[in-house]
Amino acid sequence: MNQKILHTPEGLRDIYSDECERKQILEQRLHQVPASFGYRDIETPSIEFFDVFGSDIGTIPSRDLFKFFDREGNTLVLRPDFTPSIARAASRYFQNVDHPIRLSYLGRSFVNYSGLQGRLKENTQMGAELIGASGADADAEIIAMATETMLAAGLTEFQISIGHVAFFESLAEEAGFDEDTVLRLRNLIHNRNTFGVEKLLGSLEEEKDQTAAGPLDERIRRLLIALPTLTGGGEVLDKAFRMSEGLRAQEAVVRLKKVLELLKVYGLERYTAFDLGMLSVYMYYTGIIFRGYTYGTGEAVVKGGRYDALLRHFGKDLPSIGFVVVISQLLNALQRQKIEILPEHERYLILYGEEAAEEAVSKAVAWRKQGKYTELMLLASEEDRKKSDEEYRCEGGYAGVVRL
Amino acid sequence: MRYLTMALTKGRLAKQTMQLLEKVGISCEEMTDPATRKLIFINEELKLKFFLAKGPDVPTYVEYGAADIGVVGEDTIMEEGRKIYEVLDLGFGKCRMCVAGPEEAAALLNGQEQIRVATKYPKIARDYFTERKNQTVEIIKLNGSIELAPIVGLAEVIVDIVETGSTLKENGLKVLEEVCPLSARVVVNPVSMRMENARITKLLDDMNRILTLK
Repeated sequence: MNQKILHTPEGLRDIYSDECERKQILEQRLHQVPASFGYRDIETPSIEFFDVFGSDIGTIPSRDLFKFFDREGNTLVLRPDFTPSIARAASRYFQNVDHPIRLSYLGRSFVNYSGLQGRLKENTQMGAELIGASGADADAEIIAMATETMLAAGLTEFQISIGHVAFFESLAEEAGFDEDTVLRLRNLIHNRNTFGVEKLLGSLEEEKDQTAAGPLDERIRRLLIALPTLTGGGEVLDKAFRMSEGLRAQEAVVRLKKVLELLKVYGLERYTAFDLGMLSVYMYYTGIIFRGYTYGTGEAVVKGGRYDALLRHFGKDLPSIGFVVVISQLLNALQRQKIEILPEHERYLILYGEEAAEEAVSKAVAWRKQGKYTELMLLASEEDRKKSDEEYRCEGGYAGVVRL
Repeated sequence: MRYLTMALTKGRLAKQTMQLLEKVGISCEEMTDPATRKLIFINEELKLKFFLAKGPDVPTYVEYGAADIGVVGEDTIMEEGRKIYEVLDLGFGKCRMCVAGPEEAAALLNGQEQIRVATKYPKIARDYFTERKNQTVEIIKLNGSIELAPIVGLAEVIVDIVETGSTLKENGLKVLEEVCPLSARVVVNPVSMRMENARITKLLDDMNRILTLK
């Protein structure tokens, strides 16, 4: 037999039985959170035109997308990320709505990572988008919701790290760096490479002496070097506020302070930390960005941020913010932290011999009416009959087994 | 308290790192035993675990969070391009990433000629030639004794680490261009940096203090 037909392609897998049950229970629990905040669901197609995720949108690099063609020769893409899809849909269907739109989703995303990395290419994601709201209250609502999903999953030790992309960007802009330098600085700060930042700024200084351009503002220099280490609680915001006195970057700090005040009202500030050096690979983020971290997984389980310019690509200019939970990462974390997801229903088994078939069926019907999840099993062979009820119970994890 | 796990690059780097760690009061006696066949070493008192790995694997362990902290050469970090924080320059393991070849190959580096470049570091070589020099090249990936390639005519030049340059010299090659200086770095998993911030920051500060004393 061809062995290949039994295997799934690299990065893809079957999820079944107990694991599947746990996953679905978790999905439902998480999904309740945006619903309780008044978010309504949206389903967008798994396949979209390439342009929805193109490089000017600033999502996953295009070589990591699953691409194929339709019959007319258009390039299609399996969605790697829900946000651009929802931005597209919202621009189209909510043309004439003048109040904020609250949308949530649960579905699969696909990223064609290069091989041998041990990464899953298909992931279930749950998330929410708040479209048409620009204030700090909207930021706080989304962050609060992201925090609530972590709590709903049963996590107790986790942290939501919040940053603001405009902090770095306005520093870079005010310093007047060229595009290449900004890119290099971004990478260095993204990797928390403080000495790299220092070295780069030093070499720029030398070049500047030769070109006779003005020296770099001392405040900006100090902030850029401190940026990778500006992390922690509310006191970091105070420090950043003082350091950015008189600079445009200070506006970002003021915004973060407002969000912190609101999160206090939500009662969630103890899960919150600030990180002004946080930058995102998703270039569509324009304001606050945040990530949720916990033990047992090397990557963030929650990601989100403000994307005020994204909807412009689809013809509607609306400020928006959203977040996503990567469910497989979260399941890994829960498993490694030994946090159990208990099934919501007990399952029962009725064992019967051929002669008791009618009795078994009518008992099952009655039990199911009572709301018991009931499975029927015919004891066909001598071997089946020999096994004890207890053995059946343990094997299948049933709450009860009866034999007719 | 949870264990903090450190992945060290096998060989000289690991030895130098342990010497540095001893100065900040962290030791692991199990590790100094030359006869040991153990793969993982534990300091119960400080709740630290150490293991040794091949250089290119260290960023992988750290990216996935299998190790919280890693010590590895900058060349490997650049080549692997993993999502990890590069937080401390240890200052030892110093060397240079260079383009080398026979003297007459120097002329090929200034034109638009499509030359062949042999290297253990295809990503670094490609970035250097296409991004910084704007020259289209053909990269040939090799796994060792890179210096052979230009001698036997497999490639015009090589991109490799140069420490003293004596291997190059003995084989009639010389450094033609320097790509970048290199040294050993401490890398940290982004999630660990958040969840164990206090312990990791203290460790890094302690190490940094010893390094700046020198």
